[in-house]
Amino acid sequence: MSALDALVSELSDADRQERIELLIDLARNLPPLPERLAAHKDATHRVEECQSPVYLFVELEGDRVALFADAPIEAPTVRGFVSLLVEGLSGATVEEVLQVRDDLIERLGLPEILGMLRVRGLTGVLRRVKAEVTRAAIARAATPPAANGQGAASSHP
Amino acid sequence: MVASYAHPEVLVSADWVEQHLNDPSVRIVESDEDVLLYDMGHIPGAVKIDWQGDLQDQLIRDYIDAEKFAAICSRSGIANDTTVVFYGDKSNWWACYAFWAFKLFGHEDCRIMNGGRKLWLDQKRPTSTEVPHYRPTAYKAQGSYEEEIRVFRDEVLAHSKAGKPLLDVRSPKEFTGEKLHMEDYPQEGALRGGHIPGAKSVPWGLAVNDDGTFKSAKELYKLYEGEVGLKPTDDVIAYCRIGERSSLTWFVLTYLLGYPKVRNYDGSWSEWGNLVRAPIAKGA
Repeated sequence: MSALDALVSELSDADRQERIELLIDLARNLPPLPERLAAHKDATHRVEECQSPVYLFVELEGDRVALFADAPIEAPTVRGFVSLLVEGLSGATVEEVLQVRDDLIERLGLPEILGMLRVRGLTGVLRRVKAEVTRAAIARAATPPAANGQGAASSHP
Repeated sequence: MVASYAHPEVLVSADWVEQHLNDPSVRIVESDEDVLLYDMGHIPGAVKIDWQGDLQDQLIRDYIDAEKFAAICSRSGIANDTTVVFYGDKSNWWACYAFWAFKLFGHEDCRIMNGGRKLWLDQKRPTSTEVPHYRPTAYKAQGSYEEEIRVFRDEVLAHSKAGKPLLDVRSPKEFTGEKLHMEDYPQEGALRGGHIPGAKSVPWGLAVNDDGTFKSAKELYKLYEGEVGLKPTDDVIAYCRIGERSSLTWFVLTYLLGYPKVRNYDGSWSEWGNLVRAPIAKGA
């Protein structure tokens, strides 16, 4: 079972209050951005579908996706969801990320605790993750491996 | 021009709330945009009432009925004579929205905690994650102020045609039609952009300070009377996207400036921008 599937089953099996608490835990446990990325919290990395300032960074390490994100703790819903994606998708392959079904938010049982209006912004976050992963994969395909041999492609400047 | 709020008792301070935490005649209600905030820690003894999950009907685009409202009050330990103090995130948008909804059902004693959730936390006042349980009350919804404070699209159209004061409290780009939704907010399904003809752009945020408190009476009179040109005798309608930001403007005009006839058009742009043949104006 993938990390994301494990989170889906944990959340969907939980009752309403447990689900709220799981989402809050996720929000509290979002790892801080690495210093080298924290300096790049700019418009390019801002998820504009979100009302709160949410920043997303996608990198490829070999064929694995590395996700980094930041969102304010005053907006725990989006921060919790972003944290879930970071935890669930870091280390996945490009294909695995692109295959995440768009009904993820429903499968997590989030509309029941958030209401339909609030989950719309979250759909945008998932879309953005997929778009950034696609962009990073294309960038890598177009660039010969770096001279230092690490071959890492990144979507940030 | 007077330099104090018209109904100062409706706006309570964080100090006042802290002094009344154990007052059985007072119930503190948190109403937020982000529904998880309450569970992360709230004012001790406060209950959560969600504008979306609790106050809105889940089938029809409307508010719940009087019976369901009474059930929410009962389970929250709110009696007909309870002083209900609302607070929340986002400079009390949703607190004002819940306040307005309570008035739809005729609850008499509603107040807003100035500064909302942010100021309470910034001042390091006590919080709790414990969800309180109160003895259910025998709440009976008593009448309604709906006619006085809520307005529907047909009347808005007549109001626009008659050239009466109409305040569009959305962001300037939503007003001009450049954007269909708030900057950084998800698009919520309006097909056309612009504003209701005759509306003046008075973004809601002009009424609040950076710390989430309301501006002084002097500043508010200067804004709404000096700059916008409203008069206390005016028949005013405010709208935004779904009626949340305009309930804050409604609160300011009704209670802080004491205007007797202010109504909130909760259909707002998410209705008007989709109405077939509804007149729309674009640009500044």
